[in-house]
Amino acid sequence: MGLRIKILSGFLILAMMLLIAGLWSIYEMNSVGTSVQRLLDDNYTSINAASKMSEALEREDSALLLLLLGKWQRGRTILSTADSTFNEALEMARQKTTIPGETTHLDSVKSTYAAYKKLWERPIVDTAKQGDLDWYFDHVHTSFLQVKAAVNNLMTLNEQIIYQTASELHNRANRAVMPGIVAIIAALAFTLIFNYFVNYYAVNPIVRITRGVKQFVERRLPFEVAIETKDELADLASAIKTLSALVHMPEEEL
Amino acid sequence: MRLHVVLRYVGFVLLCNALFLLIAASISALKAEASLFPLLYSALVCVLFGVFPAIFVPPSKHITNNEGLIIVVASWLLSCFAGTLPYILWGGEFSFTNAWFESVSGYTTTGSTILTNIEALPLGLLFWRSATHWIGGMGIILFVLSVLPSTGIAGMVLYRSELSPLARENFRYNASSALKTLLTVYVGLTALETVALLFCGMNLFDAVTHSFATIATGGFSPRNASIAFYHSPLIESVIIFFMVLSGIHFALLFATVFERSKKLWQSTVVRYYIAVLVVGAVIMTIDIHGSQFQEWSQALRYATFQLTSVGTSTGFANADSSIWPPLSQVLLLLFSLQCACAGSTSGGIKMDRVVLLWKALGKQIKQLQHPRAIIPVRLNGRHIQEDAVSASVLYIAIYLFLVSIAAILLIALGVDPLSAFSGSAAATGNVGPGLGTVGSVGNFSHIPTMGKWILSLAMLLGRLEIYGLLVFFLPPIWKTKANHQSLDPALREFV
Repeated sequence: MGLRIKILSGFLILAMMLLIAGLWSIYEMNSVGTSVQRLLDDNYTSINAASKMSEALEREDSALLLLLLGKWQRGRTILSTADSTFNEALEMARQKTTIPGETTHLDSVKSTYAAYKKLWERPIVDTAKQGDLDWYFDHVHTSFLQVKAAVNNLMTLNEQIIYQTASELHNRANRAVMPGIVAIIAALAFTLIFNYFVNYYAVNPIVRITRGVKQFVERRLPFEVAIETKDELADLASAIKTLSALVHMPEEEL
Repeated sequence: MRLHVVLRYVGFVLLCNALFLLIAASISALKAEASLFPLLYSALVCVLFGVFPAIFVPPSKHITNNEGLIIVVASWLLSCFAGTLPYILWGGEFSFTNAWFESVSGYTTTGSTILTNIEALPLGLLFWRSATHWIGGMGIILFVLSVLPSTGIAGMVLYRSELSPLARENFRYNASSALKTLLTVYVGLTALETVALLFCGMNLFDAVTHSFATIATGGFSPRNASIAFYHSPLIESVIIFFMVLSGIHFALLFATVFERSKKLWQSTVVRYYIAVLVVGAVIMTIDIHGSQFQEWSQALRYATFQLTSVGTSTGFANADSSIWPPLSQVLLLLFSLQCACAGSTSGGIKMDRVVLLWKALGKQIKQLQHPRAIIPVRLNGRHIQEDAVSASVLYIAIYLFLVSIAAILLIALGVDPLSAFSGSAAATGNVGPGLGTVGSVGNFSHIPTMGKWILSLAMLLGRLEIYGLLVFFLPPIWKTKANHQSLDPALREFV
């Protein structure tokens, strides 16, 4: 193999090592970015929705107490607003369903909320239920706690995924940095080896050829330089040897 | 010392590693795992470092003994370094120290791990972990030599440098035949065990990785609970059988199967090895019966497995032996020092040296009774030279000294004495699990960083039979010139 190809292969290897490490780092960095975006888009939105649902539930509970006290106008207004907030948040969470098992939690929220809503959809003021705290604690509050638990489960699931994704992000960031570090160390080691080979197989033979030519010119010593490899330098040494033999020949033999 | 020649041969070793990294990467690609890139990039680095010297350096007709030794030790060290690449690129539990520890533990067939959740690793990385066992089990250089086409005298020097004189004892063939023998037995045993485990109900991946770990007497399992995961006496029996076989000199196994030779049954070392395992298992069965297991069959099952696992330097576990009675623990410790026969993939002091020690002791006692008598030490009917006996005894002394030094250093770092001493013995003997916190169901993750480096060094010293690594770091070996005189006298005629 020619010296040119050997040296070129060295540079190509070096470039390939750095290029692939660079590309990989870019890919991993991009993945980190995507993961952060996904974290914000999906899980954070779901947590936010669950939080809104929880808040709406609290307001509905307060409104129900107002209804029990006979304050129909205020109670129904708060209930209506909180109900639309809850439904909007539920829809928002449903649109961002990304985690396995999240649909089950959402179905649970929906069904428990439907059961809860059934309790206060019908009139309370001016009926037997007005002022009936036993009815409130036995039915309404129990149902309220069930919806609240379902919403909390949804929130916990998303929080767990956020924690997992954050841990994964740490790993991903490490994966984005490590190829660069490995490539730098490998490139340094490779440069040392490359330098050694160039010195041993290119520079040293050139020095020996130069010394051989000098000895031939100055002291007429025969040009005897052995080159280990079969490349351009071996051809050069062979050509100089032929040339020196020609110079030694008497003129009539040429 | 010709660095370019060393680099050329070490390059071949890296190419061999790259091949296994590519297989592991293929598994990751098939399973669409995130470990694909770490494995592929590691393979690429190994290929580039392996191919480049092959492009630049022309083949060398011969190498000197010193160059052979440097190639062998450098191959081990660089392979261990190459082995860390996929781990550190993967991240997770792998810091650089942890990755180095896991890699050294893999190549030296120790089987100690820093992982607290092995099953969390992707299959590609788990395969690579087991593959390091398989590459290291036969000896990295021997593995490469048996795959490479003819390497002539250079191959012979490398073969002699890699294989200890004790291991060469039963090879009555030339280097090339010996390599073929080793490879045949190694691959044959691995294939047989894989098939047997498949029949026992293991899946293909687990069967292959466990076979790699058994035949290399390594001990890495892709399961957190090791062999205990399967709760299968049948699987345990198969593994016990192959662990015992892997602890016997491969040339004797080859001769028994392919040449119908009876040498295996006549070998003093093999008989001693089997007898010691049987006696040990019986004592341990009696010891753990009642206190740990109420049924005799259960006591026999767990005692036999744990003792064979430690006694062959494999390191698999089917029970937590760190809670067993003190006598059983002492037995396990003794077996982790002694291990199996030379010429196998096993680590430790080796049975051959222990037998020679007993013979030397017997001779010494007789010599006291008959001071003028000339009493030869005989093994398998052959007279053993005095210097060979002395070398074995000296090796045992240095070995125990190193184990003690490593243990003292670990204690100084805050490790409890039981874990420190057993961990150090397990690392130097390439056994894997020790006792205490580094027991059969424990791991080495809690060992301080410096302790992990000490244990890694102990593993390398044990695998390279101490002298190899020591000589590597002595300046004279690097200064010798490659001339005809520095060649092995036996090889000069070929050059």
